[in-house]
Amino acid sequence: MDHFLKLMPFTIIIIPLLVGFVLAIFARWKKDICPYLILAGVAYAFMISILLTQRVIGGEIIHYHVGDWLPPWGIEILIDELAAMMLLLLNGCSLLILIFSIKSLHKEIPEQATGWYYTLFLLTLTAMMGMVITNDLFNLYVMVEVTGLGACGMVVAKGEKLSTEATLRYLMLATLGSGFLLFGIGFLYQVTGNLNIPYIAAELVKVREQYPFLMWATMSFITVGLGVKSALFPLHIWLPDAHSSAPSPSSAVLSGLVVKVYIVSMLRIYFLVFGFDVFHETYMRYLILLLASLAIIGGSLFAFVQLNLKRRLAYSTVAQIGYIFLGFSLGTKWGIVAALLHIIIHAFMKVCLFLAAGAIYYQTGRKKVTHFSGLGYRMPVTMAAFTVAALSMVGIPLFGGFITKYGLAMGSLEANNPYFIILIVISGLLNAAYYFPIVWQAYFTSGHNVKMELDKVPVTMLIPIVIMALGIIYMGIFPGGTLEFLERAVSRFIL
Amino acid sequence: MDISRLMLNYPFIISIILFCLGCLCILTQHNLIKKVIGINIMETGIFLFFIAAGNIEGGIAPIYDPALPQEILYINPLPSALMLTGIVVSFSVTAFALAIIVKLYQYYGTIYAPDIMRMR
Repeated sequence: MDHFLKLMPFTIIIIPLLVGFVLAIFARWKKDICPYLILAGVAYAFMISILLTQRVIGGEIIHYHVGDWLPPWGIEILIDELAAMMLLLLNGCSLLILIFSIKSLHKEIPEQATGWYYTLFLLTLTAMMGMVITNDLFNLYVMVEVTGLGACGMVVAKGEKLSTEATLRYLMLATLGSGFLLFGIGFLYQVTGNLNIPYIAAELVKVREQYPFLMWATMSFITVGLGVKSALFPLHIWLPDAHSSAPSPSSAVLSGLVVKVYIVSMLRIYFLVFGFDVFHETYMRYLILLLASLAIIGGSLFAFVQLNLKRRLAYSTVAQIGYIFLGFSLGTKWGIVAALLHIIIHAFMKVCLFLAAGAIYYQTGRKKVTHFSGLGYRMPVTMAAFTVAALSMVGIPLFGGFITKYGLAMGSLEANNPYFIILIVISGLLNAAYYFPIVWQAYFTSGHNVKMELDKVPVTMLIPIVIMALGIIYMGIFPGGTLEFLERAVSRFIL
Repeated sequence: MDISRLMLNYPFIISIILFCLGCLCILTQHNLIKKVIGINIMETGIFLFFIAAGNIEGGIAPIYDPALPQEILYINPLPSALMLTGIVVSFSVTAFALAIIVKLYQYYGTIYAPDIMRMR
């Protein structure tokens, strides 16, 4: 038992990975057991992440050295508050998305591919978990690459013209991005001779006065590299096509989880490797503040003109990523807490919205936002959840989105920069402008004689959507515990 | 800036030139196969950068041999080991990209990016 406790951080990666590859063998003959096998794998990872989170809440920081090689040379796994939170989020959301996909998947991707799709799903999930818990920069790069390949595979699984083309563009830009990231890591290794984050940080403090230009170069390489992958505003061009042409469960994973883990890595590199001072002195902070503001306005405006529901949701992701970047580049305690909270709440909202879009497509085959009239009476459960998520996007009190907007406002006051409050209010109005017409149409434009009836989709598709909606409401009404936990996480980044 | 110091570190300059060429190739070429070649050029530049970083003037391959004198220099093996992983990653990305290009050729009958954009 002691041995198991020690190995826990390792098994959370290795068991889902193993299940994924075993699955690939079953995928050819026994397609019907694949979903249940993968469900077991992810459920195991979810359970372990709950146990790990309990230990972290108890005040423990979990270190694990892979193969018992000690830190300066070996790979170290580190589970602090941020990693525990991300593990819980990744596994919880993936579990719900998987439950959704059991019944819906065969409608969206070719029949023979359904088995292998789950292998890709597990590959992406484990690589994301690895990226969150690793404390070694080269290992981070490998995990970034694997996540990129897995995510591309999840888009191309649909096997259509559009998704294939979007995948190629995604793959090209993702590879460009990881090339930049690797070059940045190469600079850091060249200067400090280490790959382990605390060791690099310790060395960098000594040598950073000697290499002022190198700090700029490294910072820009890493910003561009991870910025492409996390769709920072002018680098987001791959996102709308890839996210909207993918099957619904993939869209939910990509929009809700994949872009976030890159931001978490970015946060680690900025605050733990370079430290806030370098982040501030190289003006990288102002650049990201500017790009985040542009993302919030630009993403919303682009979303406004899209008529395809999934495309509209994808552009909305660009805008919401802007909030997260805004929060952490403010650099104050409330700002970073709001950014981390938005990672959680945006995952809930986007997963809920994309799964609802998938359910609408499953029942009615409709994709255009102009064809949704009367849907509120024909799919009441789905549309209710959609409405909750839309209200939360706009930032109505009692829903999760309000808490992050409040946090961002507090953060910008702390940073002596109250202009961002205006930005947040404007963006809330823009969000209302493109989400409320959908809701309005679904409930109020259907004529008189419509009968109320329950959704005609399998109940396994409804449960995840409802749980996500309840999660949004829960975060809106009782944010206290989460905020306290996140404040502890942030206290590791800034003093 | 001392030009001789720059010349001493010529592998880094070459690696940066390769990296820039690869990026340019990915972003400006219209032929999809050439884009994939661009990815490979770019990653070769990075591999060269790492391996040059691990090299020590006059060092030999780090294989311990008791017959050799004690004070002999070994090169740093870690960057080379890292780049083995990098090569594997680059290989799989290339394979995946080529597979997607085959698929696109089946759908559109061309691998010329502007034509594909026009036809979608």
